[in-house]
Amino acid sequence: MTDYRCRGVVRLLAVAALALLPPVAQAGRPVFEIEIRGHLFHPSELVVPANTKVKLIVYNRDPTPEEFESYELNREKIIMGGQRAIVFIGPLTQGEYPFFGEFNPKTAQGKIIAQ
Amino acid sequence: MKSIRIYLVVALLSTITLVNFVSALHGYRASMAEAQQLFDRQLADTASLLSAMPASADRPKVVERTGHLAFQVWSPGRRLLMRSANAPPQPINALEEGYENVNFSGQRWRVYSHFSSERNYWTQVAEPVGLHFHLADKVVLESVIPILLGLPVAGLLIWFVVGHGLKSLHLLADALRQKRADDLSPLPLEDAPEELLPVVQSTNALLARLEASFERERRFSADAAHELRTPISAIKVHTHNLERELSQYRLPQSPVSLAKLQRSIERMAHLVEQILNLYRTTPDHYPAKFEPLDLHELAREVIAEQYADFAGRGQAIELTGGAAPLKADRFALTILLKNLLNNANKYTPENGRVEVNTRVDGDRVVLRVDDTGPGIAEEEYGRVFERFYRVGGDRHPVAVSGSGLGLSIVQHIARLHHAEIQLDKSKFGRGLSIQVRLPASPGYLFPNGDSSD
Amino acid sequence: MLLTSVIIILREVLEAALLLSILLAMSHLLHLRLRWFYIALAAGAAGSVAYGMQLAAISDAFDGVGQELLNAALQIAIYLLLLVIAPLLVVNYYTGERYRGILSAAMTVAVATAVLREGSEVFIYLSAFRYSPQPWSGVLTGALLGAGIGFSVGALFYYLLVGMPRRRALLVTCVLLTLAAGGMVLQATQLLIQADWLPAQVPLWNSSVLVAEGSLTGQMMYALVGYEATPTSFQVIIYSASVATMALLLLLTRYHQKKIRTVRDVSQAR
Repeated sequence: MTDYRCRGVVRLLAVAALALLPPVAQAGRPVFEIEIRGHLFHPSELVVPANTKVKLIVYNRDPTPEEFESYELNREKIIMGGQRAIVFIGPLTQGEYPFFGEFNPKTAQGKIIAQ
Repeated sequence: MKSIRIYLVVALLSTITLVNFVSALHGYRASMAEAQQLFDRQLADTASLLSAMPASADRPKVVERTGHLAFQVWSPGRRLLMRSANAPPQPINALEEGYENVNFSGQRWRVYSHFSSERNYWTQVAEPVGLHFHLADKVVLESVIPILLGLPVAGLLIWFVVGHGLKSLHLLADALRQKRADDLSPLPLEDAPEELLPVVQSTNALLARLEASFERERRFSADAAHELRTPISAIKVHTHNLERELSQYRLPQSPVSLAKLQRSIERMAHLVEQILNLYRTTPDHYPAKFEPLDLHELAREVIAEQYADFAGRGQAIELTGGAAPLKADRFALTILLKNLLNNANKYTPENGRVEVNTRVDGDRVVLRVDDTGPGIAEEEYGRVFERFYRVGGDRHPVAVSGSGLGLSIVQHIARLHHAEIQLDKSKFGRGLSIQVRLPASPGYLFPNGDSSD
Repeated sequence: MLLTSVIIILREVLEAALLLSILLAMSHLLHLRLRWFYIALAAGAAGSVAYGMQLAAISDAFDGVGQELLNAALQIAIYLLLLVIAPLLVVNYYTGERYRGILSAAMTVAVATAVLREGSEVFIYLSAFRYSPQPWSGVLTGALLGAGIGFSVGALFYYLLVGMPRRRALLVTCVLLTLAAGGMVLQATQLLIQADWLPAQVPLWNSSVLVAEGSLTGQMMYALVGYEATPTSFQVIIYSASVATMALLLLLTRYHQKKIRTVRDVSQAR
């Protein structure tokens, strides 16, 4: 069957892709924290080192859910009320990367500044 | 696309929704931008007003009750001169000319920073962002909600309008459905919409072609039968002559073949006659002449005419019932009676019984012929009216000669009179009972005596 | 709140509606019974609510990246299902009714998964307003506007496909399903990068000046082909590989089916 032959190709590709990856280390990433309170980000501007992958922990202190979203960072994650979320960001080239809370985009705005 | 109506309703409603909603959104965005500019201008006006206010540099003046507005006025030495009670003592935002959104006091604000070159004052005026959106939202909602509420109404209207638009399609379908198998008259053209005209026209053309070909078929059989009559008559005469000539030779006995030949000629003559009858009594063509007559009387005449056949086979034939007056075509009814009696005579064994009964049943006149023949199996009731159909198929008793057209002719004549034919078990226990229920006055149904459907 | 609601609902509805209308149109062209569709919708809706209710627990799993992993798994599941569905569509087109049970089942699961994925976000967004003193009318109006636009686009798209000649409809469907399938894998890699399961890289290009991801066009392209303004080289490779796999599979199937049909036609002619 053609079907099986091609599924085999996919599997081969997946294995090849994984083999090429550098080992990913979770430890040792700089950690930054942001809070959501009253549909606002605290702080609304966060400075992170450029060209480094950082671990961003977003605490949602509101009872309502919020979606942390950024087109520039390509990040999107729902954070339920009273929960925290971990989002890995970067490595980023120097510059500003706006993010917003998709459920309250008028007030929940902020930006990450990579330096 | 199973239903045109559903397709049209869904597609139209989707288009309307898409166009309406997208333009509503566009309107929303435009009004938002407009509102933003308006609010910004107000902030700028307030800022220049504040920078013109007298202020002492000793102690910052705190202004209570500024509503939603927050502000700060800074001296050239970055000392706070004046602020609203809801503004913090440190600068709200970096002292740079222009608008920006920032957070303080647990809210997001639209801030305008203004430098007054006259007095070298920095003024910062802020208004909560949420307030603006709240106001704009309210305005836009008012205009969007009617569109939303209007949509179901539009859907309902489209549903009915489309239904109405498709009515002529339904009418056409009904006209086609109600057509009887033998009705090849054209469909009415006058109120067909432009889009359906080609369908109606080509259907009518098809019907006309069908009609013409049926007509050709009928005419051919009729013409053929008619043309055959003359040579058959000639053969009859020749046979008769032959018989006479042979008798002159004084043979010990007349030849068997001659008797067979004469029987075959009789049969052929009968067949040709029946084919002619079948054509003549076709409801579409028969020039019916309805006149008042008594079916009982007519039956008596036909029985008298055919009595010899029954007597020849030792059969008892009986006419019962009473006067049955009706308006009907005398010639056609005579053929009907002849065919029914002929069948009864043929299929009833020798010394059997045949009963003809006439009676009035409400507005109907009923003719019933019962015999003591073999009868017809119930599952064959529907087929015996078909042309050239013989009961029992190939196993039809050879001794009984017949054209297979008798009941077809009976059916034609019954249809001509809008009569019903019922087949049943004979009242004698075995045998066939055939009942023809004629309307007492077809003239009542067809005022001009016309027999067309 | 109106515009926010519109954008969120529109984005989710549009993503699901396009896949739905493509598969629904194919189901119509191949005269499949519609039962699978209703089952898929019901299952997807029920799944969305369950997912939305359990999201807190899901997020906490796997060191706080459970959400990304589950979403990525769902996307990859849809990709694999499309890998089965698209060739079966071609098979059914060329050599009549075959593997209908598998096709129906795959389409049911794919649609249910897509509805679950998009529906859960809508459910979470709308459920937030339980706590909110804000008037419902704005949110509701926005939601209706968004859903109206999304479903209208889906319906028109469906009629566009159904109205095409069968051959072209199949071609368009295969192209769209291939690109959509690539988009699924792209989103999955995106989520795995976000979860730090795949390495992040510097974007290869930035086309947000041409088409911003947040714009309406961007959203449409995202829904259709998984548009990404700033993809990394790894993502580009993965996207190309998954699109190529699907395309190759489809071409092989078509070649194979044509051969079968020719053989059958010839043997019938004899």
